[in-house]
Amino acid sequence: MNSVVPATIIVAGLVLAGYAGLATARNRRMGVDLLVGLGVLEVLLLVLVGVIVAKLASGARPAGLPTLIGYLIAMPVVPLAAGLWGLMERTRWGPAVIAVAGLVAAVLMVRLHQIWPVIHV
Amino acid sequence: MSEPAAWPEPAASPEPAPPPGSTRTGPGRLLIAVYALFALAASARAGVQIATKFGDAPVAYLLSAFAGVVYILATITLANGSRTARRIAVLACSIELVGVLAVGTWSVADPATFPDATVWSGYGSGYGYVPLVLPVFGLLWLRRWATAHGEVGGTGQGAEDVSADGRT
Repeated sequence: MNSVVPATIIVAGLVLAGYAGLATARNRRMGVDLLVGLGVLEVLLLVLVGVIVAKLASGARPAGLPTLIGYLIAMPVVPLAAGLWGLMERTRWGPAVIAVAGLVAAVLMVRLHQIWPVIHV
Repeated sequence: MSEPAAWPEPAASPEPAPPPGSTRTGPGRLLIAVYALFALAASARAGVQIATKFGDAPVAYLLSAFAGVVYILATITLANGSRTARRIAVLACSIELVGVLAVGTWSVADPATFPDATVWSGYGSGYGYVPLVLPVFGLLWLRRWATAHGEVGGTGQGAEDVSADGRT
């Protein structure tokens, strides 16, 4: 499987985490910039879900199929949940939640590779 | 760890309902986000493991499930923030801290019992040691919150008390 999408998600997640972490350190609130970043991450994750579903549809199966399906469901929820939860917080801690979401997206790529090694990073 | 936290208000009222600054706001927002993540990760993983291969490592999977329940409890009570909920949250964070230390030590001393990892084995090393740090921050946050809202050791506590919470 092409490694471009997971690699892009790792980079995007880490950049978002760094940027949001900076906002927290500088005592900034959530802004449109962070929401756009979350949106980009969401789109990338949805693309990856599509790629993996296509792979499953072609008949390939990982050893831990239930876990993979769990990941397919959970992955797109991460930026959405972080966006909603972070928007409720009009302090520096809103961006801190976004930073966690970015880190989680990156970690999920590594875990995905462990669950199904055909998903390269 | 020692940010000059900007409290929404000093809140000197003696016996109020949860004031505007609830345990789910400010740093609590971040804490609950991470707790929710671990609640989902630990319980979902344990669920899959128990359903598909329980015999492989029953102790590890049951401990993972237990950890998941504790994380769920901590998430809900921190988000709720009422007086009762905060007490349960302290209990959940304490169980969690004891659990990660006990299971961590157990897994190092007797690896044979843990052919498969739990959230807490190796002191949470499989999860970047977040399981070890999380209950400490949870307890610090709850204590800090209570101190700032005048719930620790009677009334009339000054700001210097807030700075003393590092020794919890």
